[in-house]
Amino acid sequence: MSDANEQFAGLRKGLLEFAILTVVSGRTVYVGDILATLAPTPFATQEGTLYPLLSKLRREEYVDYQWVESGQGPPRKYYQLTDKGAARLEELAAYWRHLTTTFENLGR
Amino acid sequence: MERVVTINLNGNPYQLEEPAYDALRAYMDRAQAALADNPDKAEIVRDLEQAIADKCAGYLSPAKSVISRDEMSRILTEMGPVEGAAPEGAEAPRAESFGGASEGPRRRLYRIKDRAVVSGVCSGIGAYFDLDPNVIRLLFILATLFTSGFGILVYIVLMFAIPSAHTSEEWAAAHGVPFNAQEIIDRAKREYGKFADDSAKSWRSEQRSWRREWRDQQRSWNTSFRSWETGANTPAAAPTKPVGYAERIFAGLFAFIFSVITAAFLIAFLIALFSYLTTGAILGWEAPNDVPYWLVLLIICIVYGAVATPFAALRRTSYATLNGRRDVGAADDFIVLVLAAVAAWFAWVYVPEARELMEQSYIVVRDFITHWTN
Repeated sequence: MSDANEQFAGLRKGLLEFAILTVVSGRTVYVGDILATLAPTPFATQEGTLYPLLSKLRREEYVDYQWVESGQGPPRKYYQLTDKGAARLEELAAYWRHLTTTFENLGR
Repeated sequence: MERVVTINLNGNPYQLEEPAYDALRAYMDRAQAALADNPDKAEIVRDLEQAIADKCAGYLSPAKSVISRDEMSRILTEMGPVEGAAPEGAEAPRAESFGGASEGPRRRLYRIKDRAVVSGVCSGIGAYFDLDPNVIRLLFILATLFTSGFGILVYIVLMFAIPSAHTSEEWAAAHGVPFNAQEIIDRAKREYGKFADDSAKSWRSEQRSWRREWRDQQRSWNTSFRSWETGANTPAAAPTKPVGYAERIFAGLFAFIFSVITAAFLIAFLIALFSYLTTGAILGWEAPNDVPYWLVLLIICIVYGAVATPFAALRRTSYATLNGRRDVGAADDFIVLVLAAVAAWFAWVYVPEARELMEQSYIVVRDFITHWTN
């Protein structure tokens, strides 16, 4: 497994954006939720990667956030998918399906 | 026993052991560098600080108020290296490899002495924000006027806090990005100790360089004046001639004329200032009774500035041409004049008190002129 971890790092990196959009699409989440959701998956990531990526996604208007007061500590940014982001996710999912069917057919 | 450093993460104080602090500083510096080209850098850095603060809070309790080195290194490992736009290898080792090509130009705030009027704070800030230093100077002056002197205090603090650019790397970095609050505080502490002898030294060297420049200017002026007298291409002319010969003769002449004019203005200004300060009158003219003392002084300064600035700019251009250099920003002076005019216009429109003062100033000037024409 750690072998696969090393080898396919580049592949996962490209897909991380897809993974994050998928997590955000379900519900409004804050960074802690995203990290916790991804932690047990191959897409486990860290703040150092996630914050720059979220800011890029926000700049591209795929996600948006709003400040929500938290019970303990300072207010948190809760992210949600924008319409543009939903369209993007749709597009990515369609492309992903296309890729997987391509692979299946290549093997034949 | 470890020294403890208190830091401010997004508005909340945290206490760290010194090695923990050093590790955090290094991490944030690398983050800043990695994000140098990111338009949302400030926001991401804030988010990162907040995330670190949250993690720190997890290690603290009423019984424990200081983050240790080990805890900080665990926190930073959890955070993971910050990735900017630069592509990274599988697991970028968190050592020096980050400072490579991905870093981009790092701009830092320095005082720039060789373009300084007082200590180079404004020219440094100007270089940092890509603004004309005169704009910064004007803002400082306005800030000082509107905050009844507080601006000067800020200036003095900055003078201690901002290091001056000594090496060419520093000078380049002054124009090239991050400078955070903690650095300012550290610097201020260090610089304060050095300041006394440093300033004495630099004052002497500045004087020397002034004298040198003055000699150079005189010499080159003499040179072109001599060649103007003989009217021929004498060997005394400077070896490099990026500017036309005839132009330089004119430039020499004009440099002289404008120097005399600006010097005359300066002397007139000083005489007016001192005679008003000592006798309360300027060449026999006394200000109307209801006009405050300081307003007259302000008017004198403004009038002097408005009248002398164009000539000073012309003189500077002449000298620049004479020395075969390209003009070094004679436009600056005019920009300041225009900005001052705009600021005055804003004050006239939006600040009734300022408007009142201006009307009063007008009366003072009119009074002065009628005094002299009669």
